[in-house]
Amino acid sequence: MKREKSHFYRSGKVARTFQYGFFMTVGIALLVVALNLVFFIISVVVFTKRDVSSLGGGEVREALAVVEDVGSATEEKYVLTDEMAQRLAENKQWAMLLDAEGRELWSYRKPAELADTYSRVDIARMTRWYLDGYPVWLRIWDDEIMVVGMEKDTVWKYPVEFSISWMEYLKQVGFYYFLINIAWIVLLAAFFTRRFMRNREQARIEWIAGISHDIRTPLSMVMGYADTLEQNGELSEEARQQAAVILHQSMVMKELIADLNLTSQLEYSMQPLRMEKIRPAQALRSVAAAFLNDDADGNLEIEVEIDAQAEQIMLRADEPLLQRAFRNLILNSIKHGGQSEVVEIRIKMQEERRRFIKLFRNCDRFVICFEDNGAGFSEEILRRLRDNKKNDANPKIRGLEIVKKIVLAHGGKVRFGNREEGGSFCEMRFFRS
Amino acid sequence: MDLYEHKILLVDDEPALRRMVGGFLTKAGFQNVFYAGSCLEAEAVCRREAPHLILLDVMLPDGDGFSLFDRLHRETEAPVIFLSARDEDESRLRGLGLGADDYITKPFLPEELILRVTAVLKRVYRIHEEKQEDKVIDLGDCLIDLGSGVVRRKHVTGGSADRETADNGSRQSDAAVKDVEVTLTAKEYAIIEKLSENRGRIVTIDALCDAVWREGNYGYENTLIVHIRRLREKLEEDPSHPRHLLTVRGLGYKLV
Repeated sequence: MKREKSHFYRSGKVARTFQYGFFMTVGIALLVVALNLVFFIISVVVFTKRDVSSLGGGEVREALAVVEDVGSATEEKYVLTDEMAQRLAENKQWAMLLDAEGRELWSYRKPAELADTYSRVDIARMTRWYLDGYPVWLRIWDDEIMVVGMEKDTVWKYPVEFSISWMEYLKQVGFYYFLINIAWIVLLAAFFTRRFMRNREQARIEWIAGISHDIRTPLSMVMGYADTLEQNGELSEEARQQAAVILHQSMVMKELIADLNLTSQLEYSMQPLRMEKIRPAQALRSVAAAFLNDDADGNLEIEVEIDAQAEQIMLRADEPLLQRAFRNLILNSIKHGGQSEVVEIRIKMQEERRRFIKLFRNCDRFVICFEDNGAGFSEEILRRLRDNKKNDANPKIRGLEIVKKIVLAHGGKVRFGNREEGGSFCEMRFFRS
Repeated sequence: MDLYEHKILLVDDEPALRRMVGGFLTKAGFQNVFYAGSCLEAEAVCRREAPHLILLDVMLPDGDGFSLFDRLHRETEAPVIFLSARDEDESRLRGLGLGADDYITKPFLPEELILRVTAVLKRVYRIHEEKQEDKVIDLGDCLIDLGSGVVRRKHVTGGSADRETADNGSRQSDAAVKDVEVTLTAKEYAIIEKLSENRGRIVTIDALCDAVWREGNYGYENTLIVHIRRLREKLEEDPSHPRHLLTVRGLGYKLV
């Protein structure tokens, strides 16, 4: 059994969905940034709180009064204020004052295991690391050293160093680094938004497909029986006429449902295309011939002009879909023929080789142009056709909207307009393959 | 076996639709129509009755028509025509890569259904109501016998009932009274066969090339023009002013 090759194309994005997706992406990105900021602030507040309240050497030294005239040997030369003593105790901190030689002048709550004199080596070490396991901070005050310490295993202390060149580098690159991070956030947000949107689109398409499916079976019966009634010779002429009307209107409904389904699938780029290499020239001829063959009254003239070089152009296309686009264009010309009795349609197909990209062969494009002798498009309709933002449900241009979507699905471009001589044109450009 | 004696199995879960389609088939003359509303039923009926043709809905309550088709095809050779209500199926059925014989999309007209059913039956069981060999195309002033591949141009003077020659009276009187008989080459035969099948309708260049050279027909357009010219020499009284084998500029040819 042959598996059908189908693939999904992504084009013809609807502007409204796009806007929605854009805002959602920006929203998610902002949310991520905001959350990070909040987390950062909270962490700063919570984890640095302890350090803020802990006392530094300067504060302690300031709260230390020096008594110049010491009366007896037992009398302290240095006196700490009661308030500071209490605060140190609350923080479980201790303090000591050393002179320039490393001898202890004064101390408060100093752990017993610590010595009274410190060599230069000891002091050098404690400035950067720990004093026998106690985290300490030093403050130089005139020619004295105020040491404030905390209990063991309370503070992780590590001197940080960066080379100047690294700091310079960081200054230069940091901004871009930040930008890249933001870009990442936006990309991730876009990715998730897209997935979300696709699911939503998918649901909508399936809903429409379901509805159109459910309408078809009952409509089969309406059509079938209306046809039977119309052909029933026993019925009155009037009844048969009425059956004919029912039949005709059911056909209209059938077309509408097909259009609805196709539009929704093309709109959300979900129509699985069966791409094959075809010759557009052949497709044009077969569509034109079919119309001429069905035209019993001779009110239709179709002229097909295909350049000799355009004859062999190949296009990767879903042929029935492409033919449908051509058919819609002819139908539109017939419907809005207007002015003269005979609808004249001219179909031209030619190569379009743009000189400056001649080097790239597969950039060669070709043009298919449909022209008619009708009343032309009104300004209103042209504006609506140009307007990509709206999903236009105007019945006058539904067929043309489908043309547009089909051409886009084949990687082409389409342009509608009015000819100077009167009548309208539709110009389609495709890349040959 | 007569065309209308063939057994047809209709598989659809909607009883009202079954009744209607069954009615159409009976009205068209088919006497043996069987019904099934589900895959299970379809398989049972298929085994019991061995139908000659199966009309199969794609959506069934207990499975989809495609997989049922696979199962049925293991047991029976009967041709299958799919009934589908979804455009999505259409793309799948379009290529008929599945091996189905045809498909009809809902909603459909009774004629369409009957037409397809008879066409598939005729094709598969080789029922020819009309022998191709006996087919003679009468163009008025010339006869093409597709059986022998011979063109007979009759030059009847005077009281010819031929409308088309009437307005060309002057030239006709110049022509001598003679019966010309020429044989068609294989290619010419293929062209005239294709054109006569669509008599009065435009046949595109591509369709003609397809009929004559089968596949990969690109590049034969110029050769086709040569063949058409030769054909005209055989068919037409005045090949440069053809009245039967007409050119439709840019599109193709038609036989009138």
